[in-house]
Amino acid sequence: MEKSNLESTQEFYDQWLNTYKATIGKLVEMPAVGPAREKSEKMMKGFSTFANLYAAGMDTSSNLQAVFMEAMRKVQEKNATDMQGEISPEKYKDFYNTWIQTYSETFKEFSKSDHFVADLGKLNSYLMDFQRYNREMLEENYLKPMNLPTKTEIDEINKELYSLKKTVKELTSQIKELKEKK
Amino acid sequence: MNGLNLIEDLDKYKHGMELLQKTPDFSVGTTPSEVIFSEDKMKLIHYIPTVEKPHPVPMLIVYALVNRYYILDLQPDKSVIKKLLEEGFDVYVIDWGYPSGTDRYLTLDDYVNGYLNNSVDKIRERSGLDKITLLGVCQGGTFSVMYAAEHPEKVQNLVTLVAPVDFNTDKGILNLWAKSLDVDKIVDYYGIVPGDFLNSAFLLLDPFRLMIDKYVGMFDRIECNPDDTTSSIRNEDMIKNFLRMEKWIFDSPDQAGETFRQFMKDCYQNNLLIKNEMKLNGTKINLKNITMPLLNIMAEFDHLVPNDSSKPLSNAVSSTDKETLVFPTGHIGIFVGSKSQKEVCPKIAAWLKPRSLLNGKGKEKTNEQERKNYGARVNVNET
Repeated sequence: MEKSNLESTQEFYDQWLNTYKATIGKLVEMPAVGPAREKSEKMMKGFSTFANLYAAGMDTSSNLQAVFMEAMRKVQEKNATDMQGEISPEKYKDFYNTWIQTYSETFKEFSKSDHFVADLGKLNSYLMDFQRYNREMLEENYLKPMNLPTKTEIDEINKELYSLKKTVKELTSQIKELKEKK
Repeated sequence: MNGLNLIEDLDKYKHGMELLQKTPDFSVGTTPSEVIFSEDKMKLIHYIPTVEKPHPVPMLIVYALVNRYYILDLQPDKSVIKKLLEEGFDVYVIDWGYPSGTDRYLTLDDYVNGYLNNSVDKIRERSGLDKITLLGVCQGGTFSVMYAAEHPEKVQNLVTLVAPVDFNTDKGILNLWAKSLDVDKIVDYYGIVPGDFLNSAFLLLDPFRLMIDKYVGMFDRIECNPDDTTSSIRNEDMIKNFLRMEKWIFDSPDQAGETFRQFMKDCYQNNLLIKNEMKLNGTKINLKNITMPLLNIMAEFDHLVPNDSSKPLSNAVSSTDKETLVFPTGHIGIFVGSKSQKEVCPKIAAWLKPRSLLNGKGKEKTNEQERKNYGARVNVNET
């Protein structure tokens, strides 16, 4: 896969991430002290969760950009001769067909690569961490103080309900079997 | 000439937009049916037979949890179910419903040994037979394989249609992607895994075709002959067919978290099923327990379930009466493509008919049940 001219952006971003890790990153990961210790430690964790997601997002965008650029290069090559001279609706259609086919094939090829698979896994994992963290914060800092039910509590009820329903089904089945034996 | 082409393209777009604005009726799943059993959100649907004496061994179709069963009854001229009824089968299908928060803890065992088993028992009770035919489609095929291995005494014939059983292949993009996912994080966060989450993965398989070209193609197929009635009818039909498929594609139920977790980890990531190492409620599923006749059907150009994922089933089972069929279609085309009605359904019917005959004991039981069910059927028709 040809490298994009996003390399400089990527380099800038890598530098930013390294600087973040060496400075603020270290600060936010420091153990908190004082009466609000627990809360502030949880809140500080959010920085690294977001930084991880942002890093994975940037990595993915940069790789996707490279794929688009490669696809565009292929399209240009294919159309180098066809698009010369007078522009007509047929030529637009041909261009569209070449464009969609080339982009589709190039992306499909990329989506099978180890690189893309790893990116996808990493991005998804960090997204889940980030979302989970946000929900925890929402529950901790808004819902609980307002005495509103949280998703965690609802899940506990759902689990209990599931377990009760299962027991009822099992008992009903046993009663049916016993009745049939009689 | 060039200018005329441009005008024609604009006309197609205009015509298409006008047709869409009329919001045509594009009902799906219209084959007459009745719900004969339900448990939680699952419904067991029985299709009203269209022949006087259907083949005695009933057929239960088990569809996937992803998307909805009505792809098999999308429209009357593209209905696998209607075709099977016309071939003289007594057809049932499981509608898994739309899981919600209370279903997040449902396990694979609940689906296979719970809902599926209870549906099979209900059909056995109605038909008076000990065994029925299972026709499993896609992930529903995988469930049917698990079920047939766990309850071989209740399955007369097993038909699998584009069903994955060996997940260790690099031919399917989904197989590659699934390995990189942290399934625990997904399930722990969502609980009920959103259908849209899965849909975005399907769209990502070929985003340019699925999110752009498909819609361009729809407008491109519009015929611009305002005075030609047959042309208008064709346009309307085309739009309706397109909308039906569009509805099905994006009608994606959420997934029960614990079921999703086990299916992804045991099947896609660790490939335990084909190794006879997968467990349901602590019991290992041994595919060698499958001894009934097996028809394993695949689509040659399947981009979701590659043939390499379905083929190994035939060697993994103990059945001596087994056949493998590969049709030159895609994963969806096998249900709704032109070959579905002309080749796939007739082949399934031809294979099943001689294997759907009764032994003496079954015959007596069925005659008695048939009287009961016939009465019930008359009532349904009257209402």
